[in-house]
Amino acid sequence: MSRAYPAPRLSLGNLYYNGAVALLVVLLIVSAISGPHLFTMDGLAGAIIVLVPLMLAAMAITPIALVGRGSVDLAIGPLVGFLNVTAVQWLISSNVTSPIAVIAWVVCLGVAYELLQAAIIVYVRVSPIIVTLSGYLVLSGINLVIMPKPAGSVPDWMSDWGSGTTVWTPVLLILVAGFVVWFLLTRTAFYQHLRLTGADERMAYASGVRTDLVRLGAHAIGGLFAGLCALAYTGLISSGDPTQGSNYTLSAVTALVLGGTNIAGGRGGIVGSAIGAIDMYLITYVLSTFNFGIVSGFVTQLAFGAILVMALLSNIFLTGGKAAVR
Amino acid sequence: MRANIEAAAPTSGAQSRLWASQLKANRSMVIGLGILAILLLGGSGLVTDFLAPANIRSMLLLAAFLGLASLGQTLCALLGGLDLSIAYVIGAANILLPKLINLGVPPPLAVAIVAIGGGLIGALNGLLSFRLQGQALIVTLGVGFAVLGGAQILTSLDSSFGGTVYGGVPAWLSNMAAINGKTFGMPFPPVILIWLVVTLVVVAIMKRTWFGRSLYALGGSRLAATRLMISEFRLWVAVFAVSGLMAAVTGMLLLGFSGGGFSGVGDPYLFTTVAAVVIGGTSLLGGWGGYGATVVGTLVLTVLTSILVGVGLSYAAQQAVFGLLIVPMVALYARSPPIRMQI
Repeated sequence: MSRAYPAPRLSLGNLYYNGAVALLVVLLIVSAISGPHLFTMDGLAGAIIVLVPLMLAAMAITPIALVGRGSVDLAIGPLVGFLNVTAVQWLISSNVTSPIAVIAWVVCLGVAYELLQAAIIVYVRVSPIIVTLSGYLVLSGINLVIMPKPAGSVPDWMSDWGSGTTVWTPVLLILVAGFVVWFLLTRTAFYQHLRLTGADERMAYASGVRTDLVRLGAHAIGGLFAGLCALAYTGLISSGDPTQGSNYTLSAVTALVLGGTNIAGGRGGIVGSAIGAIDMYLITYVLSTFNFGIVSGFVTQLAFGAILVMALLSNIFLTGGKAAVR
Repeated sequence: MRANIEAAAPTSGAQSRLWASQLKANRSMVIGLGILAILLLGGSGLVTDFLAPANIRSMLLLAAFLGLASLGQTLCALLGGLDLSIAYVIGAANILLPKLINLGVPPPLAVAIVAIGGGLIGALNGLLSFRLQGQALIVTLGVGFAVLGGAQILTSLDSSFGGTVYGGVPAWLSNMAAINGKTFGMPFPPVILIWLVVTLVVVAIMKRTWFGRSLYALGGSRLAATRLMISEFRLWVAVFAVSGLMAAVTGMLLLGFSGGGFSGVGDPYLFTTVAAVVIGGTSLLGGWGGYGATVVGTLVLTVLTSILVGVGLSYAAQQAVFGLLIVPMVALYARSPPIRMQI
């Protein structure tokens, strides 16, 4: 294999997310000129509430993409919706409102679902994209069956999360918790195996790595982040919503790619995905400060598409070669 | 496994492989047609007037749209890629055509412009994703976003309705794709006949021509195909161009069906085109299957939808059923070999 992989221990020195950081700097400058409201306490608080679920969704699909075989978790959006809808409809409506119960529910269910997907990929040997595609269809259907239209409310301890009055909210704490989990993970041998499997699964297998367990583990971590994302998302909308969650699929994939993670596997990390998510938020923000009238939504769509393609193309130059075909 | 076969019968190895491959190709068709027959029988038992001419006509019409949209997806899957821009190109064509006609462009010219535009977008998809084949679906998704966003900006520049365009549907286009259309006086819309002709032509091309055979060769083994002087680049771009062209054609036909331009009209096709390909039995790993299989997959999906609607299932529940169908179908046709076999 002609590609060179940096030593995982030096991951903070990696160059994979430099593009995302450069874009971030440009966007921060532009938004400081065109919409300085963002940099007030109010603006920042509002931004964090909206941003954290997107960051966590992008972080959730990162370990799954890192493990290779082109495994883009298309099901992430409906999964977040599913966790939100079941927590609101089944748990909170029947007066199970303790924080521990709700957090345990979304995290455990998220992990369980991702483990199911991984088990199908590993043991039935169906390609990941098909499994997550069918997961997308199944979960978005089930969400609407469980809760036909937005409804329900959140427990008192969560009710002021979405108000966006201060920067120091529990939502920020969830994000920090996510980073801490990932940081601890990068210190383990499992993380090395994850990188190796993603870079070259056959080589990893031949070197004695249990690639099947690594894949299950990568999905489990993704499920954990999906649970945290559902928590922040439920706080943001303060209710249950069966359809809005599905939008996170495309945003999370875009953020992942912007953050420099290679969908072919092996290169990337959640720091890049998190920065990619911030980039996306800022793009929306900057575009909204210009007055495009009724076409503003379309301009955003056009910009996302163009940036997604450009980010992918820049990946070619960074890896300096053709990405793995399969 | 292949090594075993050859070790057991070194002289007839190639022949037995050919035989096995034919069996495999036919098996997916036989299973697909069997499922279709069961669904038709089940449908006529569960839903009243299921096999009445009116329902068959509407099923065939919806299948024709899905089938035409899935043509490009099938070819892309044969090369081991996926085109997720189809849904967005359909939406873009659906609003750009009436916009052009409203601006005074003669309808045939407008149709030609949109069709060529679709083909060019597809070629762009191919160009951009050639070096990123493992990520073709993300590249095409990005291009699709940009195209639909751009089309919506163009159509809403001097109008107050974002994403919808009224008027501008010529009568012949309505007749071609609307449910009450007539083909030479016969009571079915011409788009069904068009789909039939397209199917026959495409199946013949895939079986008989250099283009079709090299597609299978390339999907089967990149290395072997390039050694045979088959240009991977040209085929990859051509296949995505066909996909874009067919998406634009489907988008324009859907305009005739609905009577008004709406940018979200393609959304259901984002994943149903993939589902039709997969349920038909074309492997997404490349080299296996064909358009005939996709036609069967399209019919299975459409008949199943009709049954699910007939028994009163919501759109959401239908989606869930489709999703549940995909994994077992792929497990039947296209399981990847275990890792220890790949070394």
